[in-house]
Amino acid sequence: MAPQSETAEPLLVVRGALRRFGDRTALAGADLTARKGEVLVLLGPNGAGKTTLLRALAGRIRLDSGSIRIAGGAPDTTAIRRRVGFVPQSIALWGRLPVRTNLEILGRLAGLDRQHVRAAVDDALDWSGLADRAAEPVDRLSGGMQRRINIAAGTLHHPDLLLLDEPAVGLDPVARESVHRVLERLRDRGMALILTTHDLVEAEALADRVAVLVGGVVRAADTIPMLVGRLFGSDQEVLLMLASEPAPPLRDFLRTTLFSPTNEPRLWVGRLHGGLEQLPGLRSKLIGAGADIEELRVRQPGLHGVFVELTGKIPRHLSDQP
Amino acid sequence: MSLAILRAAFLLLLRDRGALFMAMVVPVVFFLIFAEIFATAAGDQLQLRIAIVDEVRSADSTRLLKALTAEPSVRPVPGSLTGELTRESARDLVRRGTADVGLVVRADGEQLATASGLAAPPLLLLVDPSRSVTATVLAGQLQRAYFAALPDLAVGRVAELIGTQFTEFTPDQQAEITAGLAGLRESADAAAGSRPAGWSFDDLLERDNVAGQNAALNNVAYYAGAVAFMFLLFAAAQSALGILDDQEAGILDRIAAGPGGIDVVINGRFLFLVLQGLIQTCLIFGVAWLVYGVDVPGNFGPWVMISVSSAVLAAGLGLLLVTGCRTRAQAQVLPTVVILIMSAIGGSMVPRFFMPQWLQQLGWATPNTWALEAYSGVFWRSEPALQLVPICFSLFGIGIAALGLSHWFGRRLVRD
Repeated sequence: MAPQSETAEPLLVVRGALRRFGDRTALAGADLTARKGEVLVLLGPNGAGKTTLLRALAGRIRLDSGSIRIAGGAPDTTAIRRRVGFVPQSIALWGRLPVRTNLEILGRLAGLDRQHVRAAVDDALDWSGLADRAAEPVDRLSGGMQRRINIAAGTLHHPDLLLLDEPAVGLDPVARESVHRVLERLRDRGMALILTTHDLVEAEALADRVAVLVGGVVRAADTIPMLVGRLFGSDQEVLLMLASEPAPPLRDFLRTTLFSPTNEPRLWVGRLHGGLEQLPGLRSKLIGAGADIEELRVRQPGLHGVFVELTGKIPRHLSDQP
Repeated sequence: MSLAILRAAFLLLLRDRGALFMAMVVPVVFFLIFAEIFATAAGDQLQLRIAIVDEVRSADSTRLLKALTAEPSVRPVPGSLTGELTRESARDLVRRGTADVGLVVRADGEQLATASGLAAPPLLLLVDPSRSVTATVLAGQLQRAYFAALPDLAVGRVAELIGTQFTEFTPDQQAEITAGLAGLRESADAAAGSRPAGWSFDDLLERDNVAGQNAALNNVAYYAGAVAFMFLLFAAAQSALGILDDQEAGILDRIAAGPGGIDVVINGRFLFLVLQGLIQTCLIFGVAWLVYGVDVPGNFGPWVMISVSSAVLAAGLGLLLVTGCRTRAQAQVLPTVVILIMSAIGGSMVPRFFMPQWLQQLGWATPNTWALEAYSGVFWRSEPALQLVPICFSLFGIGIAALGLSHWFGRRLVRD
């Protein structure tokens, strides 16, 4: 990871981005910046506005108010579209056509002329590790390979900014790792990458900075250590799993002892101030208030804690666990 | 338990408006269209537009034409019987399709009363080979009118036949026959009736093909045009569905974010559809030429004009029908229904002259009729290319307009 100098001129500047769809406000005044050569991960619960923001950055939807500037230009202009790459969440390729043909066609559509397409396709096949599968139809490739080609197709014109909507969703750990390597290679080439994900492990592995969206607003955007330091200080994170849903009096008690509810009614997240020796005292207090404790865990706060702290929700991959 | 499945299937059908429309409404619409066509074609309702020219203007010809035009199924075109039409102008009307068939009581033929079948017959039918059935129908009606209005001539000819072939009448007998024939004439004038013919009525008729030679081939040319255009539309709509496949795969989203935007997708698909349509047309007319001898090379220029403009129209319309749909299910049903109905009304399935007048008029609202008229202009009427320009220009223009609308709908496809 090589976080960019804070003094470098931002490639992307979003100010007060607001967008409504009917009665629903998808973006409610989001601010964001991104620099060349950094991976910025957009996090947030469902409906927080991640995909809307990404699509606005891709010039696919217009804002009701606010502004987006990429290298000083608006994202829906032809000049800026040539500097931005977009990788949709789905495998946006013609499955029955060979890999190379897909890339050649999409390279032309990305604005490359005939001479440059061939070189760009060779290069993309090379760094995505798929040169030996170039003649095969996309349908015949594994999920991980398809994802890598999907990403390669968005980068043929060497964009300054690459936007990826959940680029590794639905992959097994090995395939996901191969996608991560590809993204790191692109970052190392100086590209700015902005991607959405629900996977905090993926975010921790890839992100130079994360931006947490809640209700269409960027609640915080920084490096993970900076966010943890700002939100937790020297406190530790406590996870409390109750045997059953807490009754209203217990819920009130938990709130007064710095616990926050999550979208799993039995799981509460709090903070422990003053070191591990404070844990027995906390435990006694909880039992005294009538808590039927199933699990009480202390851990160093990380991105997970940041996410819960900012959104009040357990990330999807944790809430899916039994 | 089977009833549970029945209930599920029924509820699903009720909720799938496309399938419901296809299953319940389309068959009824088709029944109505074809019932209307075949009730007309098979029954007494077939109304022939006839260009009538009486070059003789004798008492006999007047009686015959009066009886003929009294038939409810005969509609003389304007100018008939008034002397305004000449043989040539009537021929033109038939060639242009303004009249279904022409009838000339000719001055250069035998007399109606004395036709022997040895010289030029007294009645000349001007026939468009693409509608040759109209001549047969008219011949039947003429025969009926002949026996109703001119029984004296009919029996007179029988008597003459007997007199020349079997026995010689004495002057007295001849006088009685003449008097009897006069009586017949009077009673026929008073009331309509028919008598069986004892000789071939066809002796009175000559058929003249207004389209010149290769008459039999012209029907092939008609169906080549009819089939080509209908399948041009079907193939265009089917291929246009590819846009929705691309939308579902996210490809449209990806391309829309590129420098060309969604417009390159619509334009690229349009060019593909035009090219596909041209290849289809070439294949169909290629077979028509090689197997049936339809003179495509001899009419190459006009044929290219029509084929290109038809392909442009089909491509634009196919795109419009598909991009105009809000769901894939709609896009699979709506274009098929629209194309089937247009083809039925427009003459791609049943020749238009079989249809009642109102349906023929309605046909002009479909591009099928325009394209078929253009093709018939080339292959039947040998119209010069210049005469085809307006119709080709219209087809081309409507195709481009449909492309423009498809762009608008296409943007809706990728709009959030």
